[in-house]
Amino acid sequence: MNTSNTFSFELRNHLSELTNLGEKLESVGSALGLSRRCLFEINLALDELFTNIISYGFQDQSEHFIRVSISTDCNVLTVVLEDDGIAFNPVDRIPPELPCTLDECKVGGLGIHLVKNLMDEVAYQRRAHTNVLTLKKTIEKT
Amino acid sequence: MEIIELKQGKVSTFKLQGRLDSNTSQSFEKRLLDAISDGIKNVIIDFKDLDYISSAGLRVILKATKTLKREDGKIMLCSMQDYVKEVFEIAGFDSFLPIVPTMDDALKAF
Repeated sequence: MNTSNTFSFELRNHLSELTNLGEKLESVGSALGLSRRCLFEINLALDELFTNIISYGFQDQSEHFIRVSISTDCNVLTVVLEDDGIAFNPVDRIPPELPCTLDECKVGGLGIHLVKNLMDEVAYQRRAHTNVLTLKKTIEKT
Repeated sequence: MEIIELKQGKVSTFKLQGRLDSNTSQSFEKRLLDAISDGIKNVIIDFKDLDYISSAGLRVILKATKTLKREDGKIMLCSMQDYVKEVFEIAGFDSFLPIVPTMDDALKAF
């Protein structure tokens, strides 16, 4: 899975694949010597996007694969997520107003809000029948 | 994820171990809401051994907090790893959820 600091794998469109995602990222994290915090933040961003894709992206009952590619260039980590679900751009969503009190608190859009805060850049493209999300983050090593 | 439930006097502690994500949040939500409907009013969530939380986990904490408030109960969150605490901060939840450094601090609140 590894050629000169490029890692890629596929996840099925099932929530149980979150465990698989966590394990795959653990091994990428140790190969790259990422700090616990950095690995956690990348895992969280990918978890939120993956959960979104499999919850809303597929309208049929068949199995789909979400492709994850991770590469590094100096201290910048790039993750590309590709899926063949319906066109969906999470980047344009209006950020939620952060709650100040318990009663005001609603949780819609929270996942995307976390992603935008944890990553330095989040870009969306629709290429033919594929959603392509490109995330960039400056990495901290242990 | 493992959930260890412990009663200390009038306070119930839920000690979380492992990962709280969309996969595991439902069973945690059920445990917590079942305990509240059984009459538990004072809850501590111990995050010491929790390695991971996503927005699905935040939703459960939020729901339990709202439910407890309606029942005149109280929730305290303690012993978070700094990167877990950061998620509560980014979400803006730290402004209304009581997050304290240690279990002792949490117990003192009751």
